[in-house]
Amino acid sequence: MGSVKLQARLLAVFLLLLGGGSIAYQLLVQNVPLSQDEKDPVWVVDAQVSFSAKANKPVKVRMFVPPLGVGYTTLNESFISNNYGVNVNVEKGNRQVTWSSRRAEGNQYLYYRLMLTPRYADAPENDPGPQFRPAPTLDGPDKLAADALLEPIRQHSADVETFISETIKRVNELENDNVQLLLGSDVSPENRASVIDLLLAVAHIPAEPVHTLRLAESQEQQPELWLRSFNGKKWLYFNPLNGQQGLPEDRLVWWSGPGPLLNIEGGKSADVSFSVHENEMSALQLAQSLRLKDVSSFIDFSLYELPLPAQQLYRILVMIPVGVMLVLFIRSLIGMETLGTFTPVLIALAFRETQVVWGVLLFTSITAIGLSVRSYLEHLKLQLLPRLSVVLTFVVIAMALISLLGYKLGMGSGLSVALFPMVILTMVIERTSIVWEERGGTQSLKVALGTLVAAIFCHLLMVWQPLVYFVFTFPGVLLCLAAIMVLMGHYRGYRLTELLRFRAMVDGDKR
Amino acid sequence: MFWSKTRKALRARGVMGINQRNGDYILRYNKRSLYPLVDDKIQTKQMALDAGIRVPHMYGTIATEQGISTLHRVVEQHRDFVIKPAQGAGGDGIMVIADRFEDYFRSASGRIITTEELEHHISGIISGIYSLGGHRDQALIEYRVRSTELFNRISFEGVPDIRIIVLKGYPVAAMLRLPTRQSQGKANLHQGAIGVGLDLASGVTLDGTWHNLKIERHPDTANPVAGLTVPDWQECLELAARCYDLTGLGYLGVDLVMDHEHGPMMLELNARPGLNIQIAMDDGLLRRCQIIEKQLEALKDETRPVAERVAFAKQQFAVAGPVPAEEEEG
Repeated sequence: MGSVKLQARLLAVFLLLLGGGSIAYQLLVQNVPLSQDEKDPVWVVDAQVSFSAKANKPVKVRMFVPPLGVGYTTLNESFISNNYGVNVNVEKGNRQVTWSSRRAEGNQYLYYRLMLTPRYADAPENDPGPQFRPAPTLDGPDKLAADALLEPIRQHSADVETFISETIKRVNELENDNVQLLLGSDVSPENRASVIDLLLAVAHIPAEPVHTLRLAESQEQQPELWLRSFNGKKWLYFNPLNGQQGLPEDRLVWWSGPGPLLNIEGGKSADVSFSVHENEMSALQLAQSLRLKDVSSFIDFSLYELPLPAQQLYRILVMIPVGVMLVLFIRSLIGMETLGTFTPVLIALAFRETQVVWGVLLFTSITAIGLSVRSYLEHLKLQLLPRLSVVLTFVVIAMALISLLGYKLGMGSGLSVALFPMVILTMVIERTSIVWEERGGTQSLKVALGTLVAAIFCHLLMVWQPLVYFVFTFPGVLLCLAAIMVLMGHYRGYRLTELLRFRAMVDGDKR
Repeated sequence: MFWSKTRKALRARGVMGINQRNGDYILRYNKRSLYPLVDDKIQTKQMALDAGIRVPHMYGTIATEQGISTLHRVVEQHRDFVIKPAQGAGGDGIMVIADRFEDYFRSASGRIITTEELEHHISGIISGIYSLGGHRDQALIEYRVRSTELFNRISFEGVPDIRIIVLKGYPVAAMLRLPTRQSQGKANLHQGAIGVGLDLASGVTLDGTWHNLKIERHPDTANPVAGLTVPDWQECLELAARCYDLTGLGYLGVDLVMDHEHGPMMLELNARPGLNIQIAMDDGLLRRCQIIEKQLEALKDETRPVAERVAFAKQQFAVAGPVPAEEEEG
């Protein structure tokens, strides 16, 4: 017995781990939304390119666009232009779009739109970068200034990381003579970055500028310049203006390298303006729209892969174990009597079609009619089977009358007595009348009431949308339920009703 | 909280709950394949007869609708008899004919019953309305037990019976079940009969239970139920203990009756005996069962002779006798 108990416990633990593990995997790895209402931010980034075309010349506009699938999932990307050919090519980790047209005139507008979401995204990949680069040859005052700057930097740093931040700090000390010499008169961030780059190059430290966009609601935004360097394990990001280290989470890397964002041939006074909007989308919808685009998401190998009618069916079916579990609790823990284990669950399923209030009325009235017919037939001393058959026939007639009456009175729900509830109703009446035969009227009333109460609770639980979503999305819950049921099989405690029943024995003690 | 307090108090008294009875006793000691032996009274009776255990004499059985017409031949020798469903539960479907009146029968409560009514009743039995699970059944017609006068003061109509719970051949608990007006002569507690605890050592009645309450007097006769001695008590215990060897069911409820002529008779066996006996005895079944289980462990499950088992039970469960120290595991 002890070993069996242990085995059952082990089985329960195994099921629990399996179920819990699958839920945890779905939640943590696949990022499945925990609830149906979970919303995810969707960023809409618009880039507007405007320029005026030179008359009678072919136009070619090249612009960097962000590499896809790095840190964010791309929902949609579109290039909107009139009379332009669009071509996207990838080059050294950057993507570049080329709009081209044989001829254009006047002001031209090109649009690029990108929709991004942080959910379901892969972790940013670490394409290793170079760790060494040859130093450029400097001469004259530049070399002197660079050496003078690098000397204290070397002394104040321990590794590549601290070296870079120290360099940034130095270069931003604009009153320093050496810095002034290197910067010349231009103190723009770009120039500062290139001076920092120069100093780093002299020290053989590779670095490259990256241009990032902030994902925050904004109308006019210009890409922000950052520096990054590969330290052998990962990329380190630095803000060249204040030495701030580490790229904030809301940054999207647009392109890397010193090249300009926009390259235009056959046009002038080109300008790019960015605007960012935040939208919301339910996480589930998101997954479904990704699925349409063949992006792998949690929908693969889940019940969402089924055709829609089958999904609808399984939404109901997966809730049956939940209902059964509730009946189990009601019977084993509370001790309320019900007609069998599954009858309350089946009635609860029937309530789906009739609605609770109407269903309860219908069930009690029709069961009452059925039972009164039965008790009358007892006088006629009919045998069991013929008697039940007559009862069932009258149940069908009663239901037909109720439906007809409901229709005449304009109550649509009167018609909702579908085939399924009808079958369950007749079964309930049969079972109740058997209990009546065997145990008498009071007992059958008690059992019927218990069944009805259990059915109502089951129904309420089984149509509770957050729970339905949860069980349907995380079928591992069923394994957890099974584990609890296995454990319940070895539950030896008192039922709540037994505490009442044996109360006399304890009261005796108090006296 | 009230619930946890009651729960703890019941635990301390060793009261057995339904979950525990089902899981730790019935499921553990009663092999499912042995159930038909006790669920079918005809089989039980045959087995008892073979083993020399006294049972009410069987006049005949009726298994088919056509067989109903043979009823008059079965009963023509007997003025009184009992009709039972062979697979009935909880005393339902039992009809006691006490006498005849011209072409009619008279029930134990004095109601006049026509032959048609009797046949309808048998037909109902055969179609299975009283059987567990509702399948077809047989009607059993047998000797009507008449109780010893002894219990007349504390019973109302019907025949009182004695329920003894036997664990692995050791009697652990006993009660006398007394019919009341409400139970209509039936000795089943859920129908309103009262249960009166019995001292296992002496067969003396203690206080009783009625509808889960503790009582001291019979609700109909108002006589105190305590203090009576059941005759042939040793024989009753041995008879009950033997039923274990007979059936192999480790957790068994044995129902006995005291016939005024023939003494103790085995009426039926029950593989799922109820728990109200605990209120009647005012003692927990779990406590008693654990004592027996400890003894079995000490004996390494060796089967002892009936007399020895009964002696052990008498010694352990005497109400006035030595009460063993509180069990360690609680």
